[in-house]
Amino acid sequence: MTPYNGLLFFYIMVALLLPAAAIGLCGRKLKYYGLFFTVAMLLTAFDSPQKRITLLLFYLLQLLLCEGYSRLRKRCDRRPVLWLFVLLSVAPLVIVKLGGIIPELNFIHMLGISYMTFRSVQVLIEIYDGLITELSIFDFSYFLLFFPCVSSGPIDRYRRFVKDTDMRYEREEYAGLLRKGIWKLMSGALFNFVIGGLIWSEWIAKLAESGFAATVSYMYGYTFFLFFNFAGYSMMAIGTSYILGIRLPENFNMPFLSRDMKDFWSRWHISLSTWLRDYVYTRFCMAAMKGNWYKDRRTSSYIGYVITMMTMGLWHGLAINYIVYGAYHGALMCLNDVLDTRWKSFKKLKRQKYVEIILVIITFHLFSFGLLIFSGRLF
Amino acid sequence: MEEKVLAILNDICGADEGELEMDLELFDEGILDSFGVISLFVEIEKQLGVKFEPTEVERSEISTPAKIIAQVKQRM
Repeated sequence: MTPYNGLLFFYIMVALLLPAAAIGLCGRKLKYYGLFFTVAMLLTAFDSPQKRITLLLFYLLQLLLCEGYSRLRKRCDRRPVLWLFVLLSVAPLVIVKLGGIIPELNFIHMLGISYMTFRSVQVLIEIYDGLITELSIFDFSYFLLFFPCVSSGPIDRYRRFVKDTDMRYEREEYAGLLRKGIWKLMSGALFNFVIGGLIWSEWIAKLAESGFAATVSYMYGYTFFLFFNFAGYSMMAIGTSYILGIRLPENFNMPFLSRDMKDFWSRWHISLSTWLRDYVYTRFCMAAMKGNWYKDRRTSSYIGYVITMMTMGLWHGLAINYIVYGAYHGALMCLNDVLDTRWKSFKKLKRQKYVEIILVIITFHLFSFGLLIFSGRLF
Repeated sequence: MEEKVLAILNDICGADEGELEMDLELFDEGILDSFGVISLFVEIEKQLGVKFEPTEVERSEISTPAKIIAQVKQRM
């Protein structure tokens, strides 16, 4: 059964959320019931023995790696050891992606593998950094498998998540969270099913297969569709998490108002872009600066943008449209940075009302074109 | 220590001495971005020997010159 899809799914989920609301309103800790909810919903979503065994094996591998590394780290802080653990952690995901082009490797099929891998790698890196010193099996398991965001995010952070699981909300405070949760769940459903669904059936599905005008119309339609579909999905996930006392981070913040591409990435799929910023871009630039790899420090930033955006593209899949999508965004980020640093008045210009409107329109077209590349229609 | 942090910050933000007020919101004003934060951490470590891991502090904890100085102080 696909998460957040079909009436039956929602009936089961609502039935299992009612006890959570009751526990929360009584002012009790929600994490034990939360784990029960997660396991029950996972069994519902992973509805065949094969799917359940795959999930179990994946979970055990990640648990073993993170718990093992957390112990090892106390005795050894060498970076290559971290790399080895990260490599082992992403191995199943890499096999899944390679399976898309090499039939012999096409044997792992698992819902949510990309998003769970992100969470696990984050834990490994923060253990290395010394920011996660104790890793409880309960907390890690709950974090990795947390059902509301298991299939498509938002991507939460371990230390933030654990703070929420240990919260004991006052009755009033939880009531506020519950109201917000229900509201988000309902608005998410409106975005995803009603608006997204209508854009698909009334706009995109009616377009011709090819032709310039149809492709331009598809570009706009697909951009709006993807926003309502994905932002709606994220809102449903966040809403559900609120009811369980976990405040998953927001994933979209009015991306259509972005003034430039940097601004766009702080508004679109935020949990992914900040993950990549913190664990790929920042780390690459820091290493480059400390090691004096390049004469001009800005060079490390440009190379960092390209590596980060290519990683994002490849993470979506090993297909030409995703690779071009990554390269396109890498190039745009570099261009954005050149404008910011070389053209001194650009920053001041950005704040003028009429310039802002023009920049919003340009940025909208830049990312819409990116999504047209992403959709695969051009290839 | 304060002067050193401010000098690093001025250098990274391309600001003159005294131009950055202590409570200026550096991210909201578009003065500091991801790259600026990285440069800041690298320079602070180099010049003052205080180390920040990339995800150790939230942006809200280093959003003004005063907050940055307080974070450095805590770690000295």
